[in-house]
Amino acid sequence: MNVRSQISMVFHLDKCIGCHTCSIACKNIWTDRKGTEYMWWNNVETKPGTGFPTDWEDQEKYHGGWELHDGKLRLKSTGKAKTLFNIYHNPSMPTMDDYYEPWTYDYQHLFTAPAGDDQPTARPKSMVTGELINIEAGPNWDDDLGGSPIYAANDPNLKGLSHDTQQQLMAVERLVFFYFPRICNHCLNPSCVASCPSGALYKRGEDGIVLVDQTRCRGWRACVAACPYKKMFFNWDTGKSEKCILCFPRLETGQAPACFHSCVGRIRYLGVLLYDASRIEEVASLPSDKLIEGQRSLILDPNDPEVIAAARENGVHESVIESAQKSPVYRFVKDWKLALPPHLEYRTMPMLFYVPPMSPVMSNRTNGAIDHVSDDLFHDIEDARVPMKFLANLFGAGEEGPLRYALRKQKAVRWYRRFKTVGDVDEKTAMRMLSEADCSPEEAEAIYELTSLCTFDDRFVIPPMHREEAIQMMEDPLEHKKSVGFGFLSGPKRGM
Amino acid sequence: MRSAWTLRIGLLAAITCACLGTPAATQAQVPADFFRQNCSMCHTVGGGHLIGPDLEGVTKRKDRAWLIKFLQSPKAVIDSGDPYAAQLLQDAHGLVMPNIGGMTPDLASALLDVIEGAPGPAKSELAGVAISDRPFTPSDIALGEQLFRGEQRLANGGPACVSCHTLGTIGGLGGGRLGPDLTQVFDRLGGRKGLGAWLSAPPTQTMQSVFRNHALQPDEILSLLAVIDDASNHSQPANMSSLAKFVLFGFGGMLVGLALLQLAWRGRFRSVRRTIVRAQVRGEQ
Ligand code: SF4
Ligand code: SF4
Repeated sequence: MNVRSQISMVFHLDKCIGCHTCSIACKNIWTDRKGTEYMWWNNVETKPGTGFPTDWEDQEKYHGGWELHDGKLRLKSTGKAKTLFNIYHNPSMPTMDDYYEPWTYDYQHLFTAPAGDDQPTARPKSMVTGELINIEAGPNWDDDLGGSPIYAANDPNLKGLSHDTQQQLMAVERLVFFYFPRICNHCLNPSCVASCPSGALYKRGEDGIVLVDQTRCRGWRACVAACPYKKMFFNWDTGKSEKCILCFPRLETGQAPACFHSCVGRIRYLGVLLYDASRIEEVASLPSDKLIEGQRSLILDPNDPEVIAAARENGVHESVIESAQKSPVYRFVKDWKLALPPHLEYRTMPMLFYVPPMSPVMSNRTNGAIDHVSDDLFHDIEDARVPMKFLANLFGAGEEGPLRYALRKQKAVRWYRRFKTVGDVDEKTAMRMLSEADCSPEEAEAIYELTSLCTFDDRFVIPPMHREEAIQMMEDPLEHKKSVGFGFLSGPKRGM
Repeated sequence: MRSAWTLRIGLLAAITCACLGTPAATQAQVPADFFRQNCSMCHTVGGGHLIGPDLEGVTKRKDRAWLIKFLQSPKAVIDSGDPYAAQLLQDAHGLVMPNIGGMTPDLASALLDVIEGAPGPAKSELAGVAISDRPFTPSDIALGEQLFRGEQRLANGGPACVSCHTLGTIGGLGGGRLGPDLTQVFDRLGGRKGLGAWLSAPPTQTMQSVFRNHALQPDEILSLLAVIDDASNHSQPANMSSLAKFVLFGFGGMLVGLALLQLAWRGRFRSVRRTIVRAQVRGEQ
């Protein structure tokens, strides 16, 4: 057992309102520089939809992530020999058009236009070339376009759904969509790190945050092609790759990352997980129906004395172990099995988990009255507007079982709470649902509390980072105290 | 004792004479080399007419002052309307003797000395390289072609003709295009004799710098003459159509190259968003 710690995340999709506040918070802090205009380290997608960059989940086209070859893992986009062969032109590189051409408006024209019969307009102008352009796409171009024959219909997660089900999804009366906020998953088996020919990408030992060393990056962009979530971005100004840094400077000072902090729906949870690093490769090579269980088995019980001893031996700080014991992520992922990783079949072992959304209940009209009660208490889970298979493609590596489990449990908790507060559900039904959903009343209470009544401190259990202590060995952390200035000590530049 | 001293002084005198004598010999050598490098491709001394006249007895045909003047600037003398010069021009089929760089009156006079045969042995060298007169055989032609193409190296290490020249019979895409097409050069440079002399000491600046230290051997010259003669009898100089062939070949090669690239990278990423949107828009219309 090789116990390490990782800061992991849970996004509770049932609570996301698609307000994009998270994206803006991130953009304002990190990507409002030249060369980063098109980057959205955090973005919010509408599902069904094609997302950003367009259709990123279609790995037949983008070649991201890992694939199994004779039982061995190998990168889809590149390999030792391929890297050399393709080093000056990676054939799996998305084009700017697949993201979008970032633009601003020619505001100056509003002031300088000569007097005329019409109001002057500010025309859109590319932020890359400075030329006037026609806007054809944006980072959330398909926002709220559930049912769109262009975007929703091309969602790669519709694969495996019958033609009828797909048609129904597009039918006006059944239109449905939910939001899917995304950041870098800070994967356990990151394909971005594996693909880098310069060794510029690394996963921080103490918290698992995946970072790009800006001085070692040579701009080969192998990571851009290799990340299946398309969360590696190329800065065309500095000629280096950049990615979500999980706001590590904020974490190091005990603050939640900006997107977490600003989240309006309070959907985001953050905490430490202890995991067994010696089994990553073994688990990542499991057949796809065993992946979800496999990844869960990597995550270790922070209260198990054996795990604690092994963690201590590995130099995991006592305070981090304590933090792991309080981690809300552990409860969602391991205790309750409510949260699932996105597209585990890419085999990067993402460490961001999603609680799948409950979609609107399907109702029947009988004799003019809307009726949605049936003997099968969970019928609406199966008949939900978002087909189970669709969610399974997104969060279950194609397997419906874990999805069904998570959704039934969520529904049971809701009915249990209805019995408690509204009283329109009798106790017998509520208890039957709980037991059918593999949930005890105490667990239901705990789920309810962490979902609905959670405070800031419940959601973000940030471990003390001990970075300064480590740095003290090499330099004086107070050296620059009372001096001024911030930003890069030396800016990243193109070339060596 | 006295005899010993006599001997010593005698030896000293002999050495001194030898030392003084050597520069004198060298001085005679310089114009002889100059002749070989600059004159022998058009003239012989006693070897017969090449492009220019045989210079045997030239100092008897015309006086020294005239000759020195002519040597310094042949064109000026011809242009002055000198009848003898006009006659020479006619004999050379209108080919004007070029100005020779560095031709001072002293050098011209020294050259005339050499031609007159002042230091005896040099004279035989000036008769030109002896190239056999026997008729060309097919094996000469074959060997010449090998030499021309560089399939067989030139004995003194000079570069193969094909690197700069082409020949009508060479086939394929022809040879190099840096130097002139040699298909018709046989007649242009005065046939077997003239061209042979030319090849034994190429006069143009480019050829000279390349072959100065890698002179062609007489038997190599014979073979090359054979193949060049053969070309002039059997083919036309490379014309526009062969040039077009070259361009066409290049273009075709590019297409093949692109096809190969496409084959190697056929699985590459192509635009996704545009494809999706266009397909849908087309579907609706
Ligand atoms: S999601 Fe993040 S850690 Fe995972 S492969 Fe992509 S960039 Fe790397
Ligand atoms: S801020 Fe929160 S609620 Fe709003 S879109 Fe982002 S994740 Fe969803």
